Amino acid sequence: MKSKITTALMVLLAVFITLGGTTSCKSKKRLAREAAEAEYKSKVEQATKDLNAILDDETLWSLEEKEARVKTIKDWNLQNDEVDKLLLKVEKKLARERAQKEEEERSQQEEENANTTLEKNFASIARSGNISQANRTINETLELFESPDVPVLIIIKQNATANDYDRPTTIEKYLNYLKDQKISPNKVFEIKYNANGKIKELELIKK
Amino acid sequence: MKKIIATLVIALCVVGSAMAQEELSYERKQAIDSLALEKVRDLSKYIKIVGSKDTPFSEANRVIDRAEELFMSDAEIGVSSLSSNKITYYRVRKYFEHLMRLNYDRVEIEWYNIEYVSDLQRQPDGTYVGVITIFQTFRGYDKEGNLTYKDTTKKDITVYVKRKETQIGGRTIGFWDVLLGDMRVKETTNR
Repeated sequence: MKSKITTALMVLLAVFITLGGTTSCKSKKRLAREAAEAEYKSKVEQATKDLNAILDDETLWSLEEKEARVKTIKDWNLQNDEVDKLLLKVEKKLARERAQKEEEERSQQEEENANTTLEKNFASIARSGNISQANRTINETLELFESPDVPVLIIIKQNATANDYDRPTTIEKYLNYLKDQKISPNKVFEIKYNANGKIKELELIKK
Repeated sequence: MKKIIATLVIALCVVGSAMAQEELSYERKQAIDSLALEKVRDLSKYIKIVGSKDTPFSEANRVIDRAEELFMSDAEIGVSSLSSNKITYYRVRKYFEHLMRLNYDRVEIEWYNIEYVSDLQRQPDGTYVGVITIFQTFRGYDKEGNLTYKDTTKKDITVYVKRKETQIGGRTIGFWDVLLGDMRVKETTNR
């Protein structure tokens, strides 16, 4: 009798242990699943928030930071319809911004190159030892301009409201001025181009 | 009576405030001072170029056009000589034409000590007027290269600086128009 009771107790214990273990294992999986679901939900929320902010220009991120953010969201591979739609819109927007930025950089580079070319030519005309050489450089420089009568403005003093200028002149007169005076006292401040890429207005400032 | 005094005080304040607004800052005043001096220095180079026998005729004429633009339309330039007490005044173009025709084989003209003898002062019409003094050394050589004439002349040039506006590329540009007035001979020596 005692032996039967012991056996029954042992069996019961085994059943409890087995049942208990199974429940614990199932609970861990559930927890893990819940954690994964929470993480997914959080990522979807974060992605939605970030992508909307980028679309509405409500971030202070640079273009590179925005592109990096989009890459991170894509790497999450959320497979969420809303996020996917937002990603598509944001990628188009960033592609436009990238093209615009590259265009701006290209024009800036071109402008810097033009500034350099002009300032080199100005210095070369001022340094020319003879009139023929100076006139050759003047003619080369005039090729960059819409006409010899393109206005040249010279800022003598920058002010908070409006700048003070010297009497406006023309590019032809200015280039001859450099030849006559043998100095190049101004540097390029701003160049305006026409549709054909020729300079239509030049603004200089005292060095 | 009190009303009249109050009105006068207010009117004086308004006028005073308007005048104060027209006063240039020290930096802006310095910028136009320098601009006027620069125009006088430009003139010295033009005189040198036109006086030089090496300058081609077409270049000299172009430079005379530029030099004329520096002056007021009725400005005159005084010319003196050690051989006479008489000072002859020429209109700007006539002066330069006279300079081109000087009977020397080579001419050297140097300007130095270019400075304000009377600072730019604002006139009631808004024009700033000042006087810049210069010293000019003239040397004339014959075809053998001998120095045949030399003098040093002190000259005073009246400068007029006026704020003007013009339209360029659809925007209004405010600029300072510097114009030179008469260039008067003050003294001539053989130094």
